[in-house]
Amino acid sequence: MATSNLLLLCNSFNKLSVSNVVKRCCHYRPPRYRPPYWFMPKERVVSEDMLTQENRDFLAEVKQDKHNFQHSLESPLTNVDTPQTTEWTQSTRRVGVIARKIGNYPLWTKDGKKFQTTLLQVSDNHVIKYIPPDEFNPMKSKKMKKEPWKEKRTLGCLLVGAESIDPSTVTKDYCGMFTKVGMLPKRHLCRFMVSPNAQLPTGTPLYATHFRVGDCVDIRAKTIDRGFQGVMKRWGFKGMPASHGVTKTHRRPGNIGGGGEKARVWPGTKMPGHMGNSWRIIRGVKILRINPEHNVLWMLGVAIPGETGAMCYLYDTVLPLKKLKTPPPFPTQLNSLEIPQEYYDDCIHQFEQPTITFEES
Amino acid sequence: MSLVYRKSVDLLTVAKWIMRREIRSLSSLPEKAEEKDVAVEEKRHIGRRPRPQNPMLEYRNVYPEFLPDPNPNWRNSLREKLERVDMLKRRNQINIPEFYVGSILAVTISDPHAQGKTNRFVGICIERKGCGLRAEFTLRNVVDHQGVEVRYELYDPTIQTIQVLRLEKRLDDKLYYLRDALPQYSTFPFDMDPEILPEGTPVPINPVQVELKPRPWLERWERQELKGISNIEEYLKEKDRVRRELRKTPWEKYDLMKQYRKTIPIEEQNEIWGEVYNQLQQMKTSKKKITRKRVMSAPKSQLG
Repeated sequence: MATSNLLLLCNSFNKLSVSNVVKRCCHYRPPRYRPPYWFMPKERVVSEDMLTQENRDFLAEVKQDKHNFQHSLESPLTNVDTPQTTEWTQSTRRVGVIARKIGNYPLWTKDGKKFQTTLLQVSDNHVIKYIPPDEFNPMKSKKMKKEPWKEKRTLGCLLVGAESIDPSTVTKDYCGMFTKVGMLPKRHLCRFMVSPNAQLPTGTPLYATHFRVGDCVDIRAKTIDRGFQGVMKRWGFKGMPASHGVTKTHRRPGNIGGGGEKARVWPGTKMPGHMGNSWRIIRGVKILRINPEHNVLWMLGVAIPGETGAMCYLYDTVLPLKKLKTPPPFPTQLNSLEIPQEYYDDCIHQFEQPTITFEES
Repeated sequence: MSLVYRKSVDLLTVAKWIMRREIRSLSSLPEKAEEKDVAVEEKRHIGRRPRPQNPMLEYRNVYPEFLPDPNPNWRNSLREKLERVDMLKRRNQINIPEFYVGSILAVTISDPHAQGKTNRFVGICIERKGCGLRAEFTLRNVVDHQGVEVRYELYDPTIQTIQVLRLEKRLDDKLYYLRDALPQYSTFPFDMDPEILPEGTPVPINPVQVELKPRPWLERWERQELKGISNIEEYLKEKDRVRRELRKTPWEKYDLMKQYRKTIPIEEQNEIWGEVYNQLQQMKTSKKKITRKRVMSAPKSQLG
């Protein structure tokens, strides 16, 4: 009896297991340089072209025309007459978006509590390319070579770009990736793993309304680069006293290893070094408010990595208790015209509503 | 010796030149009253071209929180715009009057734990800070011989009314020294009547100088060049005076770069005020109409 109960418990725990969750380990991991196979060098050495003013003007005109043409393109989803046959299920993975962190300010709930929020702007996102699961062969690390991947791949790869840029400022190779599919090059390019039924045609624009208020998302971004830091800032060590005979060791780590048999420094010992500028994923962040006009999302909390103006990648959360319960806009939201000005979560007080008052019970 | 003398003369000429160029700080905080007087006097003396009267720029004293934080790392035009829209929406719901540090305010908030679900507090505004929706102010009063300070957020939707009981300024930008002053200087009755200023008069400056209690103090007031304290010298030792002289930074008022970093440039201010001026003006006129109606109806209720 007891064993069967234990088995049941084990089973239920197994169901709760989170796939693909990166553990926030306490030890420092050196950066792994493993570029994606679709990666092309982007930066170009800019040289003086010796152009006349007329030619310069002509080039500017051509760029403007291309830009205008790109913006006038309609979403390829609107032209499809037959609606999507596949339905959204709990196991499908939708595409995410690239957003820019633009600052934070407070919102209040309907019971008068103050929430700090972070504003993310979904800026000019377009789907660039879809790579089906069979063709998607990412570069393997040394660890993977030892134990080859036996499981059949089920997720495809969707490239999403944000913010169109001047094609003359990037390399030919990078530009070629976009021109092959008929797009202007983008400043930021990102990969999202999606289920094959959630694939999108090239050129589909993505908006902030891809998500709904009240949903939770995971956000991947680079932390603020703090440079070479000491042990107090990097690991939160206490340091040593300011006085009482202490000399020259106010912010130093103290002892870093034992003696005797273990007379060495153990691997993973917390020491001074480079801090920040590493990828971090914050999971299960709630969306409180959406402005479809400017494509701005208000996220709960101020823990989103990176400084103001940094880019971050948003996708549906993988946390089992915060996963989407009802079908979201699938595969994505078309920007229809008859949408209200702004969406608010149920708990959020809107500024155009009258002052909060409490009823006497 | 002569070299030193010459250097000091040079400094003086530089200072004079700066004063003549009329370089004014467009601070996001209310300007000091004295600075204004100096500027006016100068204008009389020099009698050069009159300053272009821009009614929008006057708003930087009345609505300082509409100007964003000047730190370039935190600025974003879209965020500031959305913030201003939200602020105006809130201002449509509640009348947030013009007030300054040193004004006496009465604030009513809805409080789920209070009796009657509302809470009213009267006090002197000792600080006002923050930009955008984060703007806040602190009121101080002495209740039952106990100093009380309450910090309110200007755009908190639980605030029901903000009433200015006495509109005035003090000699300093921040009145933290009231915490170390005799309690009579920060005691205000809760049943104070609002004092109405005739329209068009400039905001009066209260020249009152407070008396400090003997040490220990919360801060080193002697180093802050405060004008609103009368008796600070009697508590200072020789050591304090020496340290005060050593810590003085008289060159900072000539540090134009520092001033520039602390302020929003006038071109950007024009943009911001151009965006919100009309709405704020409308709110002002509608508020005036309401107060006029109230004045007309007040005697009737008394008679009845």
